[in-house]
Amino acid sequence: MTSIDASLEPNSPGTPNPPDLAAMRLQLRRENRKLFARRFFASKSAVIGSALLLLVAVVSLLAPWLTGRDPYALDVVNRLKPPSSHSLFGTDNFGRDLLTRVVYGTRMSAEVGFAVAIASSLIGLVIGLYAGYVKWLDQILMRVMDGLFAFPAVLLAIAMMAALGPSVGNLIVCLTIVFVPSIARIVRSSALIAKEQTYIEAMHAVGASHNRIIWKHIMPSTLSPLIVQGSFIFAEAIIVEAALSFLGAGIPAPTPSLGNLLSDGKLFIYNSSWMTIFPGLALVVVVLAMNLFGDGLRDLLDPHARRAGKKR
Amino acid sequence: MTAEPILQIKELRTFFHTERGRVSPVDGVSLEVGKGEIVGIVGESGCGKSATAQSVLRLFDEKRLASYEGEIRYDGRDLLRLTPKQMRDVRGNEISMIFQDPLSSLNPVHTIGDQIVETLRLHRPIGKKEAATKTIELLRLTGIPAPERRAKEYPHQLSGGMRQRVMIAIALACEPQLLIADEPTTALDVTIQAQILELIQDLNRRLGMSVMLITHDLGVVAETCSRVVVMYLGQVVESGSVRDLFEKPLHPYTIGLMRSVPRLDGDRHQELPAVPGSVPPLHQTPPGCRFAPRCPYADDKCRSDLPELAALPGTDSQVRCWHAGRIAGLEATP
Amino acid sequence: MAFYIARRLLATIPVLFVLSVIVFLIIYLIPGDPAAVMLGDGASPETIEALREQMGLNLPLLTQYGTWIGHALQGDLGDSYFMRQSVRTALAEHLGPTLSLAVLAEIIAVVIALPLGIRAASRRGEAADKALTGFSLFGITVPGFVLSMFTVLLFSVQLKWLPVSGYKPISDGLWTHLQYLILPAISLGVVQAALLARVVRSSMLDVLNESYVKTALAKGVGERGLVYRHVLRNAWLPILTVIGGSFGTLIAGAAVIESIFNIPGMGQLLVNSVQRRDYSVIQGVVLFVAFAYVLVNLVVDLLYAIVDPRIRLK
Repeated sequence: MTSIDASLEPNSPGTPNPPDLAAMRLQLRRENRKLFARRFFASKSAVIGSALLLLVAVVSLLAPWLTGRDPYALDVVNRLKPPSSHSLFGTDNFGRDLLTRVVYGTRMSAEVGFAVAIASSLIGLVIGLYAGYVKWLDQILMRVMDGLFAFPAVLLAIAMMAALGPSVGNLIVCLTIVFVPSIARIVRSSALIAKEQTYIEAMHAVGASHNRIIWKHIMPSTLSPLIVQGSFIFAEAIIVEAALSFLGAGIPAPTPSLGNLLSDGKLFIYNSSWMTIFPGLALVVVVLAMNLFGDGLRDLLDPHARRAGKKR
Repeated sequence: MTAEPILQIKELRTFFHTERGRVSPVDGVSLEVGKGEIVGIVGESGCGKSATAQSVLRLFDEKRLASYEGEIRYDGRDLLRLTPKQMRDVRGNEISMIFQDPLSSLNPVHTIGDQIVETLRLHRPIGKKEAATKTIELLRLTGIPAPERRAKEYPHQLSGGMRQRVMIAIALACEPQLLIADEPTTALDVTIQAQILELIQDLNRRLGMSVMLITHDLGVVAETCSRVVVMYLGQVVESGSVRDLFEKPLHPYTIGLMRSVPRLDGDRHQELPAVPGSVPPLHQTPPGCRFAPRCPYADDKCRSDLPELAALPGTDSQVRCWHAGRIAGLEATP
Repeated sequence: MAFYIARRLLATIPVLFVLSVIVFLIIYLIPGDPAAVMLGDGASPETIEALREQMGLNLPLLTQYGTWIGHALQGDLGDSYFMRQSVRTALAEHLGPTLSLAVLAEIIAVVIALPLGIRAASRRGEAADKALTGFSLFGITVPGFVLSMFTVLLFSVQLKWLPVSGYKPISDGLWTHLQYLILPAISLGVVQAALLARVVRSSMLDVLNESYVKTALAKGVGERGLVYRHVLRNAWLPILTVIGGSFGTLIAGAAVIESIFNIPGMGQLLVNSVQRRDYSVIQGVVLFVAFAYVLVNLVVDLLYAIVDPRIRLK
C-alpha cells in the first residue's frame, strides 16, 4: 500500500492500486449522494411532489385499512347524507361511504397510472431505440407513431375502449397504446444524438454487435428523458382514465374510480355537492403530485432542459 | 488630445449581478473621444471593450443584471444619471451604435426601409412620405445601389456587406454626433471589410461625426483610427495616438501585441512571439497589476499594487504601468 | 415558397393514410364478432350473419379497407345503425355546436394567455411571471371536466347565474346561444390558456435574446415598441403553430365537456356511439376529427410560408 509497492504493480505508475481505488469509488459515491441530496432539496417541485406522491402511495397501499369499510357496501337508508363524524366525506346515492370510495378510487387511479407509465415506457423504449438506430425501421415505425400521436388521446382511447369493452385491463392496454408514441419519440431523439457520438463508432470498430451497442451504450443516455416523460405520462394517464370513466367508457361501475365517482356526482350536483368536491379534489391532488414530481425529476436529472410547452 | 472631447468616460465600472456573484467586465475605464475623431478600442476577447461600448448607451438590463459606477459625460450631461426616457432620446439620435453580425442584428420580418423609417420617426416629427425619401437618401449615402428597390427588401435578401451598410444607414438616420461601432467588420469578408471601413472614414470626414471603433484587429486600427485605447481585463492599459502606439508601444501588453503581429518584411523562419499565458476569468482577477502574471518585467510591486492610468511625461500617451518609461527605453533597442 | 408548400402537402399524405388505417382497424380490435357485440346477447346466429353481410365483414380485410376509404374519400361514410341517417348527416348536424364551443374556448384561451405570457416575458422573475408558472401548473393538473364540475357548482348551483346544462342554437338569439356555452367554454378555455401562456412566454423569451432586439434598443425604441413591433412580430408565428397543435386537445376536451353539459355536438355524438357500439359513426367521427386536426396544422404551416418573409421570398 505504500508508493513503492504501487510502482511495482503491473499497472502503469499513477494508477491507484485496488484497495485505494475502492476507497476512491466509495468517496465518489458519497459525494454524488450529497450533491444529489442538495439538488433535491433545492427543487421545490421535487420536494413537494415527492411528499404528495408519498401521501398518495400510502393511501393507495393502505386503502383497505384506512377506513375499514367496504367501498361496495350499500346502505340505502343512509343515502346522500352530507359529511358527518360518522361519514367524513358523506355518502353517495347508494349510501356507500364516500371517503372509502375516494380512497379506493385513488388507488385505482394510481394503479392505472403506474401500469400505463411502466408499460408505455418499456414498449416506447424498445421502439425508440430501434427506430433511432436502424434507418429503415425508423421510417416505418415513426410514421405509425406520428399517426398515433396526431390523435387526441381521449378520442383514441374512447374509440379503442368502444371496441374492447370496459374493463381495467382493456383500459390499461388502450392507454398504453395511446402513450407509447410520446415515449418513443423522446427515446428516439436521444438515441439519434447518442448514435452520433464517437464512442459508438469505436464500438463498431471493435466489433460489438448491434444489440450490445444499443442496449449497453445508447440506452443509458436515453434514460433521463425517459424517466421524466414517464412521470408525466403517469399524470396524463390518470387524467385520461378519469375522463373515460366519467364518460362511462373507462372503468365500469361499481368499481370505484375517481372518474366514475365524478360521474355519479354530476347527477346529484344540485343537492349533494360533496359527491363532486371530494373526488375532484382527490384527482387534482394525485395529478398535481405526479406533475410536481416529474418537474422535480427534470430539475434533478436534466437541469438544463427548458421545455416550451407540455409535451405529450 | 487635439480635439475638444465629445464623450468623456470617467472611471466607469459596470457590474453584472449573476448567480455566481458580482463581476465587473468594465472595471475603472477612463477614455475620451474628441470631436471628429476616430478612436479605436482594442483588446482580446473578454477584455471589456464591447461591455464598455454597450454601457455608454446603457443597453444592459438595469433591473435584473447590470449596475454602473462612474461618469459618462456627453453634451454637458452624465449619461448614467439620465432617466430612461432621456436615455431613449439619446439612443439612435445623438449617439448611435452598430453591431457585429448584421444578419442577426436586423429584424427579419421588417423591410430595411421600414427599419430606417422607424429610427427617423422615433426621433423626428416627420411624416411617412418624408421619411421614405430620407431613407432612400441614406441608403445612397452609405453606398447601396438601387436604393428604391432595396428599401422594400428584407434583410435576408441582402449580402453581408450591404446589410452592414444598412445598419450604418440606420445609425446615421438622425445625424448623431457619435457612432459607436462594435466590431463592425469582424463578421465580414476581408474585401468587404475594407469597403465598410472606408465608408466609416468617409462619413467621419464628410459629416464630422466622431467614431468609437471597437475591434480586436490591429490592422483595422492602423488603417482608420487617429487615437487608440488598449484594454486588458476590464481596464485601459494604454492610450495614445496611433502613430505612437505602433512606433513606440509603452505598456508591456501592447508591446507584446505589436510583436505578435506577423510582418511582411519579417524573417520567415523566426517563431512568432506570443504573449505567454492566457487571460484569467473575470472573477479571478489578480491583485495588483492585472497583466503581471504574464509580464516579463513584473516585480513584487507590480504584483501587489495596481498602477494608475497616468500620462507618461515626454509623450502624448497614458499608461498603466509602474515601469513604463524604463521599459520603453529598454525596448527601443532591438 | 411554392416548393415549401408542395413539400408540406406531400408530407401530410402519409400521415393521413396511417390515420385512416388506424381508424379502420379499430373495429377489428374487438375480441369476438363486431356484429354480435352490436346486436347484444340475445341475437340469433341468423341475425348476426345478416348484419355481418350487411357490414361487409366477410370480405377480405384489404377489400374492406379499400371500399371504406374509397367511399370515405367521396364523402360517403356509411350509415348509422342506430340513428336512421347517414354518418355524414349526423356529422353535419353535430358539427355546429362543437364549432361554436371550440371557437369560444379558443378565444377565451387567447385572451387570457396572450397578455399573461407577454407580461411574464417582459417582467421576468416578477409577480406576473410567478403567477404564470402557477397558472400553468393549474392548467396541466386540473382536467377540463373537473374544472367544469367546479364552475357548475359555483355559477349554476350556488349563484344560479347560468344554466347547468343544455344547448340552444344561434338561431334562438346570440345571447341565449352564448349563455349555454359560457361555462363549458370557460372550462375548456382556461385549461388551454394555462398551456398556451407558457408557450407564449417562452417564444417571447427566445426572441428577446436575439441580436436585433438589442439593435432596436440601441435605436431608442421604447418598451412598448420593443415588445410589440419587434418581439411579438417574430414570436407570434411559433405561438400560432402551438395554437394549431392544441386544436386536437381542444376537440378532445370538447368531447368530454359536451357530455357534461349535454351539448349535442360531435363529442356527444362520439360518446353516445361508443356506448351503443355504433361503429360506422365512431369511425366516421374519429376519422373526421383526426383529419381536421392534421389539416389545421397544415394550414398553420402554410401560414408560415405566407407570413415569414424568409420563406416567402426564397
